[in-house]
Amino acid sequence: MTNLDAPLYPPAKAYDPPRRLPRILSSRETPIAILQSIPAAWAIVNKQIPGMDRRIGNEMIKPHLGNFSLESLLVFGVVQREPLARIDAELARLGEVM
Amino acid sequence: MSFEFDTNRRQALMVAGAGAVFPMVGVAAAKPPVLPQRASWPLRDIPFDDGWKFHRGGGDGFEQAGLDDSTWRVVDLPHDWGVEDVPGGTEPAQIGPFDKTAVGKGATGFTVGGEGWYRKRFSVAGYAPDARIELTFDGIYLESDVFLNGHPVSSNVNGYIPFAIDLTPYLDRKGDNVVAVRVRNEGRNTRWYAGSGIYRQVTLDVLPSQCRIARWGVAAWTRRFADGRAEVDLTTSLEGDAAGYEIVTRLIDAEGRTAAQGRVAAGSEVRQTLTVQGPRLWSPDHPNLYRLETELRRGDKVVDRLEQPFGVRIVTFDPARGMAINGEVIKLRGGCVHHDNGLLGACAFRDADERRIRLLKQRGFNAIRSSHNPASRSLRETCDRLGMLMIEEAFDAWHEHKEPQDFSVHFREHWEEVIRGMVLPARNSASVIMWSIGNEIPFRASDEGVEWEWKLANAVKTLDPTRPVTAGLNGVLGQEMIAGADTARPGFAGKVDNASTMFLDVPGYNYRLDDIEREHSSHPERVVYGSETFAREVFDYAALMDRAPYFLGEFLWTAMDYIGEAGIGATAFLKNGSLPYYFAAWPWVNAWCGDLDLIGCQKASSLARDVAWGLAPVTMTVLRPAPDGTFPWTANWGWPDELASWNWDDHKSKPLKVRVYTAGDKVQVILNGQTVGEKALAAGDKMTAELPVPYAAGTLEAVAWKNGKVIGRTHLETVGEAVSLRVSAEPLSQRRGRDALAYLKIEVVDAKGRVLPDDMRPVTLALEGSGELAAFGSANPQAVGSLKASHTKTFRGKALAILRGRGKGALRITAHSPGLRGANARVAFE
Repeated sequence: MTNLDAPLYPPAKAYDPPRRLPRILSSRETPIAILQSIPAAWAIVNKQIPGMDRRIGNEMIKPHLGNFSLESLLVFGVVQREPLARIDAELARLGEVM
Repeated sequence: MSFEFDTNRRQALMVAGAGAVFPMVGVAAAKPPVLPQRASWPLRDIPFDDGWKFHRGGGDGFEQAGLDDSTWRVVDLPHDWGVEDVPGGTEPAQIGPFDKTAVGKGATGFTVGGEGWYRKRFSVAGYAPDARIELTFDGIYLESDVFLNGHPVSSNVNGYIPFAIDLTPYLDRKGDNVVAVRVRNEGRNTRWYAGSGIYRQVTLDVLPSQCRIARWGVAAWTRRFADGRAEVDLTTSLEGDAAGYEIVTRLIDAEGRTAAQGRVAAGSEVRQTLTVQGPRLWSPDHPNLYRLETELRRGDKVVDRLEQPFGVRIVTFDPARGMAINGEVIKLRGGCVHHDNGLLGACAFRDADERRIRLLKQRGFNAIRSSHNPASRSLRETCDRLGMLMIEEAFDAWHEHKEPQDFSVHFREHWEEVIRGMVLPARNSASVIMWSIGNEIPFRASDEGVEWEWKLANAVKTLDPTRPVTAGLNGVLGQEMIAGADTARPGFAGKVDNASTMFLDVPGYNYRLDDIEREHSSHPERVVYGSETFAREVFDYAALMDRAPYFLGEFLWTAMDYIGEAGIGATAFLKNGSLPYYFAAWPWVNAWCGDLDLIGCQKASSLARDVAWGLAPVTMTVLRPAPDGTFPWTANWGWPDELASWNWDDHKSKPLKVRVYTAGDKVQVILNGQTVGEKALAAGDKMTAELPVPYAAGTLEAVAWKNGKVIGRTHLETVGEAVSLRVSAEPLSQRRGRDALAYLKIEVVDAKGRVLPDDMRPVTLALEGSGELAAFGSANPQAVGSLKASHTKTFRGKALAILRGRGKGALRITAHSPGLRGANARVAFE
């Protein structure tokens, strides 16, 4: 038995909202709900993937739109990879957003 | 009458046994103790499971003490009405407990909730007149209201946390008391089968009124190993006036010897350190347990006493080594499990939990994730005893819902109860390695979600700072953020993190295999694991475990089949030209995504995992051929429709696809003595070789080679026609009375005793003797009948009967199937 100290995970003192960093929107990292909340971004998505609102309208997916990116939907077959690069190129032109 | 016992009196009580000492506690006291009572102080944890009355449905006045409940059904807990036949149900819309119109739809496996009432009469006339009497429910699904003698005494809205009720204010000390419990499981409140009713244990505690050990009031953890000693820190909380009392704390080893002891003056919260010389450490391979005894004394009189299992172990996490237990690196070979016990529904029988954990250990699992709720005490104690690591989980939703009536409805008002209900009862369990504050939480990266993440993580740490906080994260990790010094985890102030991970010590990733190594380059400080994984990625995760020290391991979704989330692992044959999509609708009722099926048998994915995890050098399956004009389809959580079978008489026209799983570099397939295929395996093949083999009845053998040497063989045989049934009983546990379950496998076999691998036919049971049929069914993921009746249909040649004891006595079970020779077995319950 080797000498060993157990780790501790103490609680923090108080909650002060963390500072959000600006970001470039993308099909890989940005939650769909965020894209939906930015009209210019969502217009890009709908242009490249027609009927996007219908595709993500079912009860199984709706709760996860705050966690799923467009790329997250690939495994479920809701979107295909092919238009994602075009979406990313257009989203990048919007510049950094909060 | 004084409510105190001296030591000799206590020992005398133990020898006498609970049944003799507590003759007045209703039906429970009239029964013999289930387990030897030496390990528990008889004034706590008095079984209160037997002799309840149950009525399915609602009504007026059911809480009143004087209600005539003579027509109500007698049930012994644990009880789950969700696996009982739908009252008045008729096929085809209702099949056994399954109802095509159930509000929960496929999520609950088409089972039906509703309202149910429980009542139990008891007396406490034998106890001290000033004793405090508490009742502890380990879990009721879902919403419950408890009444004593007609008075409301408690309500609970979470279906998975234990809660204790002080009955004292409305107790009749001399006469009969009636406790009544209304249980409601209504609406769409869950994404999986949750059960309905008082599905976990109920216990009675008789406590001293002046001063007592607080409920879940002892916290113990191993702080240090130094020079061959273990230092165990303890905090003991008391309720009442502690002046003049002492606390004596001991660790007793498996041989009954005192390994460490401390005595200290009592206070509302008392800290102690026990030092154990040469401790026997706890680990999954060596689950050594001590008995942690806490005594509250006044002089030499023991006033209160608590005993619990305790394992001496230190778990560490760091990106350079991963997870280590007692300094030894260990990878998590984990499985997610829901709480149901298959055919028994949600009932938390200790024998059922023990069987499940044993089966998983046999298949190489060393960890489970209690998804997505706090586990039962019986499951957790089983993990402690058998050496199964465990992640306890609090929530499936926080402030935003997944189902319209799920816990998000109550979250803002009741979240702290859940955190306390998860942490306090489990914080001394050696098996528990992490606290999960949630699974795939909707909108967790929003401003409100991040604040909840912080609140929950810190609420956990306030109760138990000895384990890391985790969560199961699907999708993306959210926007990059920076927290200040007062808010951040120690060492993370001012550092860039993601919204979903910034307050987690060990992030869990659901289905994010491709992200793990990519993210490590930008966040090398993270220690991560796969909190949910697809079975099809078993070889990828095994390889990742080997090469990435910061990756702790995986938790398969799921280790074992469960009722509900019907068909998320379905396979189907779809018409050529159609879209590759299949919706597993009614009558699919179980998830069919487990490595083990609903009755505990290995499925094809488990055979592959045996190789990935080094349990077997080679395993073999055959892909079920697609009918002409169709193509095979497998759901995301599924595994292709493979069988360990060489019975394919109807498929002679085309070669069959034989899959061989091996860690070798070459496989050879031999049919009836003739080599019919060879294949070399490269790293990219992921330990899988697929070879076309034309069918001919006989023996198909696979030989695995590595570096020119044979490392293993396996074979499949063509099984003959069904001739008879075979009934075989699994070994009984030591449990007695109503706690004892017996598992009997019923198999359809040929003349040589070989199981028909894909056989489905009716089987009927006849029981004679002492005991009852608790459940009878198969692993069929589709509804085929009752789970309580004496008849069922085999699936893949097997069915399972689960018998429940009624005390000492033998039970003979005989199985019949038309045209086959019957079989029987005898079970002797204690």
